[in-house]
Amino acid sequence: MKINPVYIFLFLFLLACNDNLDLEPTDSLTPDELLSDPANLDKLLLGAYAYADDELAGGFQTATELLADEGNLAYQGIITPLQAFQRKEINVDNSFVYEFWSTAYIAINLCNIVLESLDLEEDPVKRAFFEGEAKFLRGLLYFELARNYALPYEPGDRNTQPGVPLVFNGVTDLSELEFPGRNPLEEVYTQAISDLQDAYELLPSKNGFRADRYTARALLARVYLQQANFESARDAAHDVLVNSEHELAPNLAAAFNNESAGVEDILAWQVTPQDGYNGFNFFWASSDFGGLAPSGILAVADPFLDLFSGPDDRASFFYEKTGNRLSAKWQALFANVPYIRVAEMHLIRSEGNFREGTSLGLPPEEEINILRARSNAAPLSALTLQDIVDERRRELAFEGHRIHDAKRLKEDIDGIPYNADRLVMPIPQSEIDANPNLEQNPGYGN
Amino acid sequence: MLIFSGSSVWTQEKIITGQVRDNFNQPLPGANVVVQGTGRGTITNFDGDYQIQAAEGETLVFSYVGFNSRQIQVAVATTLNVTLLPGYNLDEVLLIGYGTATRAQLTDNIAVINSDQIEEIPVTSLQGTLAGKAAGVQIEQIGGRAESGFRIRVRGGATISGSQEPLYVLDGIPLQKADFSIEDSASPINDLIALNPADIESVEILKDASAAAIYGSRATNGVVLINTKSGRKGETRFSLQTAYGWSEPTSKLDWLNTKEYVELYTEAALNSGWTEAEIAAFFNSYARDEADWREGRVDTDWEDLASVSGSIYDLNFSAAGGGDKTTFYLSTGYNNTQGIVLGNAMERYSLRARIEHQAKDWLTLGVISNLSKTQLSRVENDRFFGNPYTMVSQIPFSRPYEEDGVTPNTNTLVYNALMDQYNGEFETNIWRGFAKLHLEAYLARNLNFRSEFGYDYTDQLEERFWGSLSQAAAVDGFGDALDVKEEKYVLNNYFGYRFDTEDWDFDATLGMSYEELLVKGLYLEGQNFPSDQLRKLDSAGEITGGYSSEWRASLVSYFARFSATLLNRWLFKASLRMDGSSRFGMDSQYGTFPAASLGWIASNEPFLRDSRTLSNLKLRVSWGITGNSNTNPFASKTQFGIRTYNQEPGFVLDRLGDPALSWEETSQYNFGADFGLFGNRLNTSLDYYVKSTRDLLFSTPIPVTNGWFETERNTGKIRNSGLEWTLDSQNIISENFTWNTSFNLAFNRNRVIALPNGADITNILRLVREGEALASFYMVEYAGVDPDNGNALFYRNTVLPDGSLDRSTTTNWNEANRRVVGNPFPDVFGGMTHNLRFGGIDFSFTLQGQWGAQIYNPPGKWQSSNANVFNNQTRDQLNRWQQPGDITNVPQARLFGGNGNQESTRYLQDADFIRLRNATLGYTLPASVAEKAGMDRVRVYLTGVNLLTFTDFTGRDPESTADFLQGASLLTGATYNSPPPARTITLGFNIDF
Repeated sequence: MKINPVYIFLFLFLLACNDNLDLEPTDSLTPDELLSDPANLDKLLLGAYAYADDELAGGFQTATELLADEGNLAYQGIITPLQAFQRKEINVDNSFVYEFWSTAYIAINLCNIVLESLDLEEDPVKRAFFEGEAKFLRGLLYFELARNYALPYEPGDRNTQPGVPLVFNGVTDLSELEFPGRNPLEEVYTQAISDLQDAYELLPSKNGFRADRYTARALLARVYLQQANFESARDAAHDVLVNSEHELAPNLAAAFNNESAGVEDILAWQVTPQDGYNGFNFFWASSDFGGLAPSGILAVADPFLDLFSGPDDRASFFYEKTGNRLSAKWQALFANVPYIRVAEMHLIRSEGNFREGTSLGLPPEEEINILRARSNAAPLSALTLQDIVDERRRELAFEGHRIHDAKRLKEDIDGIPYNADRLVMPIPQSEIDANPNLEQNPGYGN
Repeated sequence: MLIFSGSSVWTQEKIITGQVRDNFNQPLPGANVVVQGTGRGTITNFDGDYQIQAAEGETLVFSYVGFNSRQIQVAVATTLNVTLLPGYNLDEVLLIGYGTATRAQLTDNIAVINSDQIEEIPVTSLQGTLAGKAAGVQIEQIGGRAESGFRIRVRGGATISGSQEPLYVLDGIPLQKADFSIEDSASPINDLIALNPADIESVEILKDASAAAIYGSRATNGVVLINTKSGRKGETRFSLQTAYGWSEPTSKLDWLNTKEYVELYTEAALNSGWTEAEIAAFFNSYARDEADWREGRVDTDWEDLASVSGSIYDLNFSAAGGGDKTTFYLSTGYNNTQGIVLGNAMERYSLRARIEHQAKDWLTLGVISNLSKTQLSRVENDRFFGNPYTMVSQIPFSRPYEEDGVTPNTNTLVYNALMDQYNGEFETNIWRGFAKLHLEAYLARNLNFRSEFGYDYTDQLEERFWGSLSQAAAVDGFGDALDVKEEKYVLNNYFGYRFDTEDWDFDATLGMSYEELLVKGLYLEGQNFPSDQLRKLDSAGEITGGYSSEWRASLVSYFARFSATLLNRWLFKASLRMDGSSRFGMDSQYGTFPAASLGWIASNEPFLRDSRTLSNLKLRVSWGITGNSNTNPFASKTQFGIRTYNQEPGFVLDRLGDPALSWEETSQYNFGADFGLFGNRLNTSLDYYVKSTRDLLFSTPIPVTNGWFETERNTGKIRNSGLEWTLDSQNIISENFTWNTSFNLAFNRNRVIALPNGADITNILRLVREGEALASFYMVEYAGVDPDNGNALFYRNTVLPDGSLDRSTTTNWNEANRRVVGNPFPDVFGGMTHNLRFGGIDFSFTLQGQWGAQIYNPPGKWQSSNANVFNNQTRDQLNRWQQPGDITNVPQARLFGGNGNQESTRYLQDADFIRLRNATLGYTLPASVAEKAGMDRVRVYLTGVNLLTFTDFTGRDPESTADFLQGASLLTGATYNSPPPARTITLGFNIDF
């Protein structure tokens, strides 16, 4: 053999030097790939829903229910961050405080990406749809952030207290990183209202399980109520009640634990065995119904029953587990989680009518009694404002409304003034650590 | 090596035979016999016999690991019997990555651990045998599960990205990361679980950059070279090793019993405004009847239920031998470990073959193959209710079982983890195949070429089931299965060139390597099972999810190394490696990793050569750069992935990638000195190193207002500097007694040198701050209890205008400022091993210790919270404040009162310890007796692991840390209901025939 083996080995050596370093992931798209197809705008919106669902399908409301609690709830769980809400001693590292803040801004960013990329879609109908839904979700999230992370909105005031950062840039690249400060609360409310009004103009009147124009309008009613703008709240609720084709479920049980669209749900967070997370069920249900603890973490205590003066389905909408009285509203694991119900629209319209001395749609007393009749409660007569407020507590119990009602009605909670620092969530410590421009809320350290 | 130029008379060559023995007059099989200055050499057979061609005047060098080598000039006699004495073998051949070098030639810092220190330590994985044996190498098992991974830190925490596992190189092939457990709830599996420790010949840890830099971009965490056993010429030797062991947890915490629980919680409830009737009603709700708690009729120690007695059974059988051209090693092993955590067990079957064949004078071929199957019964990771140790939260008067004594009681405070055993399963099977083909060709007298092709394949199938009584009761049973197949192939080709002159020895290596990794996964989950007996997904009424996935990574490398020895005194080495990795952004795919070192063997200088005391003195200095590429394979790319909503696919941001992401670079200086005294009976080394890491790869928090909360970036610079001291001493060598000692001690100091804009990076009680140790604990400082009212106090720690801290106290945790209060890295750690041998009896033990690290215990917030929640409390909570004037560290018990349960130094502790890591007492039958029974060698031994621990740490064990935080290394140093390691006592029996 005359061929020097060196050459063979040199050949082997060089053969091996193929260069294959540019590998791409198989389960994700780059921003350029993503934003080359207008159909992906729709999918970004679904992604934003998925993030909003993470905490608003009950986890966050559970925390705010405990923050508003004055003895109606028996909390027995291991989860100390939740316990801190009931004690009204929230720490800046509280995980519930962080989780909602972060998922809300992750979802807002997805909405902003959609809003910045609307030009991709040439069909004006679809474009309006994308814009409307993105603004709906963004408005919803700014409203939730504003009413939880800032001192209460004071009607008639300039509301210059720090709100939350308003972000409009859709970040898809690290070079776009921003370190925003907090906008005044008034600006955040104004932005939320503007987004929701745009959504009301842009969205179709029917949109399946997603937001339609009346969903935006119903949420506007809630925002106006929080601002004590009773006239606008009444009008918005009226619009929804008259035009949305949603109506009260025939009985209380039918309003909850629905695995498909409930007739009463103006917006419900979708939960299926494959996705969505029923935070209410996790904390309120016993584990044989999917909850975390064998006998539930939150039980209903006796003082809650004092809200009722006679027979009322809502005073017995419970099931028992190991001596714990558990709310039946959150009994089914894979049920959708109502976020805005028709009952709330009736309550808003009746309060608006009552305060304004009008009878748009229905006289307030009649409207409250319709709601009561649904739960087989005796009708009220000589309706007072307090009756309406109490009706809200009975009807909307355990759904996360109480803390915000107390704040707008300037009611003490457990002897703590409605505008106390302790009833406002802190800005998450990790966010303060990462962003030097963020100011902490008063009462949370120095 | 010097050319022996004096001998030119080849005609007088003859055959020399003889036997090599040790000081006990026992034959030494496998000793090297080499004719100095030539390539001729042989190895003694199992009877210690050798046969070699040599000429009169030539010198034979006899060497054996752990013994002083001897040089004997060939004279007239043709029989040469040699006795070697225990000592430090400077002629020991070490692997240095793509080549070999003798210890004498070395300018690097390499720790070597041989099989005799690995065998007979009854742990399931190789790493566990290494603890305390190598200076500057911290080896910690993460918790007490049989499959647990290890954290190995070489010379301090140089990196905080991803896993801190070093690069494992098995017989020249870098191994893949081989754990693909379901993220979130599974406890990580040791990367080397498939490897049978009995097959290991030696382990080398490349510590300094000059040694490790040849592995370039993956060498920052250290490189561990694992060499497996091979056959040798001679009669086939069979070896049977069996061992059986008993194990139990090293420690257990004390919890309140029923009487104490009722007392403390009644007090706590009354302090919080409850009535006695209310708290009694609560007690009743978790007791079957009132007497259970009132009279203490039920008193369950739930930790006793979680921690069980385990066992180890180990069986290995091997055959090794060979002829003139072919040698082989075959082995099979079986290991059955019943864990000390309820429901945890492991079984491993392994099969191994290694064959080398000399095809031509100039061509050697070889194959190594290894097949193994590992079956695991697992429990969920520390954080989940499936971890039996979470049961410590249960109330002591809760009964564990129903009346039937078998069905777990479901009326418990938190999920009863016994149910996971009774009504569920969590199995993992790992099939791993490893094959390597290699050829070595001498292309010319001084030029050889080596080609290695390695293939490493893992199939991990994880199957879980929760039945209708378990956590999945609401969905009538839930099951899932994840199957991940991973393959990696590696091609190494390199040339070696040796050239000697009278004064110089040169050695050069030039080569390339290509690696490609492919991972494919398949997942399926379902619920609504018709029966708890039907546990596979074909029985699920509804399939609720599934996916398939795939990812790849590749690495192409070129390397060169040049070393030279001048006059047997001066040593030079330089190397260069270039790596291109698919993990990084397009702009920075290639990295270059140079290294250089210089050594001076002063003892070979004329003025020291004749010293009677100083037998070896070598000074070393080295420098080099290594990299770390331990990131997600696509960390540099911004990615949108899928999240579904109402079963429709949505897009979400999965990662904000930094396109400039690149290698993390560590440059390291090492200054070392080796001393050998009294004919190398006493050897000691001192090394000082400075290890600077820049462009740290790590996840930096960003304001989530940008739509994501972190980004992987190259950030900042840290420095580890330290001192390592090793000492090996042959204290006594006599004909019937030897005693030697190895000692190592390391000091390490870790500091963050620079951060972008000098800004702190904070992440969950950890801080990265200039001038502080990396990942320092950063939290509010607990100030104890106000004697007047039992309130928990915290130091305000506000920085005052004069720069001092306001040490006044507050009860409002939010008013207290965080400060740096410790870090998870030890300042000092070390080990000491003694080996004693008296006739046939031997005794050895290893002590291991560390000082200066802290451990945080997050579950303290509910387990040691002076009865803030109903979870059972550690017994020290009985020292709570009860009346004005009480001086104690435990605040007043207030049910749901949140009195001192916030994150603070109350739950931070020093983790100093000294541990008797292992001790072995063995007896080897005299050869004459063994031979009568037809055996070559018969040995029995008794070994204990983790026998004693001396520590002030009041948690379970200073080494058991949270398994689910293993990858998040910034969060290292926390324990979380983590099972302690096992204390194991094993009886073993080895025979060779």
